[in-house]
Amino acid sequence: MALRKADQRVSISDSAGVVVDARKLTTREFNVRLHALLSQGKTRITITNPEARHNLGVGLLQGCRLEFEGSVGYYCLSYCDGIDATVKGNSGWGLGDNLMSGRIIVTRNVGSSTGASMRGGEIIVWGDAGARTGISMKGGTVIVAGDSGFLTGFMMQKGRIIVLGDVGSAAGDSMYEGIIYFGGKVKSLGADAKIEPVDRREQKEVVGILMSAGARLEDIPRSFKKIVSKKKLYHYDSLEPLERDRMVI
Amino acid sequence: MTTLKEPDTNEVLSQRIVEDIQVKAELGRYRIRGFSTFQRLVHFDDVMFVARNLTERNSENGTVETETILGTRFAERAIKISTPVYITGMSYGALSRTAKVALAKGAAKVGTATCTGDGGMLTEERRYSTKMIYQLNASRYGVTPQDLVKGDGIEIVVGQGAKPATGGLLMGQKVSAIIAEKRDLPAGIDQRSPTRHPEWLGPDDLGIFVETMRELTDWKVPIQIKIPACRVRDDVKLAAKTGADGIVIDGMQAGTGASSEVVLDHSGIPTLSAIATAREALKEIDLYKKVYLVVSGGIRNGVDAAKAIALGADAVAIGQAAMIALNCNREIPGVTDFDREVGVPAGYCTKCNTGKCPVGITTQDPELEKRLILDEAAVRVANFLDSMTTEMKVITRAVGKNNVHDLSPDDMVALNLEASIMTKLPMVGTQTVPSMTRW
Repeated sequence: MALRKADQRVSISDSAGVVVDARKLTTREFNVRLHALLSQGKTRITITNPEARHNLGVGLLQGCRLEFEGSVGYYCLSYCDGIDATVKGNSGWGLGDNLMSGRIIVTRNVGSSTGASMRGGEIIVWGDAGARTGISMKGGTVIVAGDSGFLTGFMMQKGRIIVLGDVGSAAGDSMYEGIIYFGGKVKSLGADAKIEPVDRREQKEVVGILMSAGARLEDIPRSFKKIVSKKKLYHYDSLEPLERDRMVI
Repeated sequence: MTTLKEPDTNEVLSQRIVEDIQVKAELGRYRIRGFSTFQRLVHFDDVMFVARNLTERNSENGTVETETILGTRFAERAIKISTPVYITGMSYGALSRTAKVALAKGAAKVGTATCTGDGGMLTEERRYSTKMIYQLNASRYGVTPQDLVKGDGIEIVVGQGAKPATGGLLMGQKVSAIIAEKRDLPAGIDQRSPTRHPEWLGPDDLGIFVETMRELTDWKVPIQIKIPACRVRDDVKLAAKTGADGIVIDGMQAGTGASSEVVLDHSGIPTLSAIATAREALKEIDLYKKVYLVVSGGIRNGVDAAKAIALGADAVAIGQAAMIALNCNREIPGVTDFDREVGVPAGYCTKCNTGKCPVGITTQDPELEKRLILDEAAVRVANFLDSMTTEMKVITRAVGKNNVHDLSPDDMVALNLEASIMTKLPMVGTQTVPSMTRW
């Protein structure tokens, strides 16, 4: 799937916003309510009292603007396409799991596996990110203003992660074509990962993405480095005779 | 001095092991192959049905019902299939497009289901399959929410019986440009999939993730969890407690397109032993027949299916048998030459991993794929599924039942001690089962 531009805004109706109090609803009722509102064309929704509940806002496949007034739990805003969401608080595991397009902003910290398997769009974390940030990404961008944890970018296939702070141990383990930009230090590299310098063109590109995401120029590191794959694990080193006759169509 | 007419057979260092060591001395790594284990394991041939004859009058009504309903625990729309056997998940990538479509068409002809396998959904499979289960693997290749919601069920794969606790493997010669694009990978690489799902680590998180899938699908379709047969008793209980509608137990005799031989031959437990353990585990938590049980791994015919059902399964899934029905390991005069193309005679090929399938099933080579004629292959799949159904009916009637789902352990005996202990069936000639305090 082609990566949509991070700043490509989805079409949202001009209807007045709706407020949904999540405290009064079960998870099922909440998601049903959300889907019903969207189908009625009410695409600006403020959610109060999410109280770090799990599975809020799953499977939203049309343009909408959501604001969570508080923290969310596991797998919130997962399997979505075309959303524009802000979480004013923390998020649990798996935020934006398999995101197809759109933007998710978290004003504080996120747990493990943020942006897991995402295919497009942008996730912006203004605090720190936990372990396995961007695990198995197939596209899109994850931005972490603070530090990112253990196994960041594990088995990342495509896309990019930009960490303004430090990256935890086993960074970029077993990556394919993803890139992890970092402004601080890396605790350790994962299997088949290496650090490369970032040239001026790329630096400018990264700064542009960050400013587009809302970062202030004075908060952006003067220079980034990047973690990429050494690509030594792409092929078995030795092959049996029948395996040797390689063919790529 | 006597001259031996035949060489001595060394059981430890057999000819196969000698060859294996010599190859690995060149390779410097484990060997990879497709298909299933070479181990001689206890299997369905070690248990028998026993008719009642004079002890109970057999029904004169010859009809046997085989309709099967999966997913009544929570899903709004259970999967209803005409026979308790469906096609297990095999990926487009491991299999050719023609093979996948033939399986879909064949399954649709008899009114049963298919499963997508790894690598996402093939559009044609959804078009031709009347019941399609979307398989969610650790890799998440090709997964989109738009496709997920098109499934009639979702299968979350914890692992597969052929290679427990290892990720998928697709060798470079099968990662064509089309497959690479679908999986978001560079073409031609030796694809290695993750062993664990990206966002959940253990059964508690899996329980939350099952709810994610429910919310995504509006609670409409069954969610099943596929487990390789290893620590079955605990795994089944943990899977059932996640809130899934069903559990698929995949035994050690299951097949794969590619695996290290180490795991293929030395990890997991036999399918036969897994079924009874799974049944008892569900009974212990009062979820037997509330959570449905699908068994896969070496199901070869209708009587294997019937035995699995008698032991506690609600349905079985077939993979290798379906591929053989397509044409796997079949010498086609004037078309194939197994000896020349894959180095072994037809009937002995396990080279799915090489992409050189002479019959066009486990390949991405368009020239080889042409050897699989779509509609003929679909008919063969349908015929084989029908043969399985008629076999189930015959054996069900023979033990005096009119519904294949009424088959029970009381209808069977074990032929040897191993099978008796594994299945808790009395050994033939006895009325008892060897006792065990925990199993």
